[in-house]
Amino acid sequence: MNTQIEEALKTLQSGNRQDVERAIEALQGVVYGFGMKVCGSHEDAQDTAQETLIRLARQLREFPDARALAVWLYKVAKTQCMMSRRKSKFAPAQMLSLDALMPTDPALSPAGTRSWQVTPEETVLKEELRGRLEDAILALPKHYRLVLILRDMEQLDTREVAEVMGISEDTTKKRLHRARVFVRNALAGYVQDLREGESKSHA
Amino acid sequence: MPDRRCKHIFTMLSDYLNAELPVKNCRDLERHLKGCESCIAYLESLKNTVEACHRYQLRSNIPAPSKKVREALLLALR
Repeated sequence: MNTQIEEALKTLQSGNRQDVERAIEALQGVVYGFGMKVCGSHEDAQDTAQETLIRLARQLREFPDARALAVWLYKVAKTQCMMSRRKSKFAPAQMLSLDALMPTDPALSPAGTRSWQVTPEETVLKEELRGRLEDAILALPKHYRLVLILRDMEQLDTREVAEVMGISEDTTKKRLHRARVFVRNALAGYVQDLREGESKSHA
Repeated sequence: MPDRRCKHIFTMLSDYLNAELPVKNCRDLERHLKGCESCIAYLESLKNTVEACHRYQLRSNIPAPSKKVREALLLALR
């Protein structure tokens, strides 16, 4: 569950004007951020936030709890993102085959997989790694991209992701695994480039 | 390598990281990992990928909500 949404709902219900303004900004941050990750463009993210939050105003009092609000918000934002795909960088819809993503012998060797690590003290990703991660995510076909972003970035649980996507939990898990492997393989390529660069500079 | 067993383990790695793998499969996977460096290394790199996604933060600043959004929400709360 996204704690920002939980806090925002509590504040909105409290009615304190100054706090309410902050809660609106928090919700804008959640939806705009989701739109940026999914669409990769400021304009689409801004449209997504605008449309989603105006729709929210029409039914704000209908949410029994933060979970219901989170599922609703992401569902509406997801639909907005899908509608804006002409302008954004959506990869063509296609299936990712697990067989095709399965590592080959060299890639599965310890040398091929030992690579990069996000250390506990690294609270912010290195600029280059972040760029590679964004590119890999935007290269994912949309149904995989949405599942990965909802589960691993927005940190919804499997059931919530399934509800937002309108698919079964089993399908959610399958899509998530394929998406993670796709991104992992893309980042492994980045690490390989770095290593080759390092060995050339030492040669 | 990878043998058939590794391929089977490969399909379960995300569920394992999410702690959503049934107990029996979890035991099988952990037994396999004890003797397979390749699968341990692959699992580690997948875990790093998930960790990178968790730590990801937007590069750009978040714009303030538009006047239309603020007014609509404030009106709804009256």
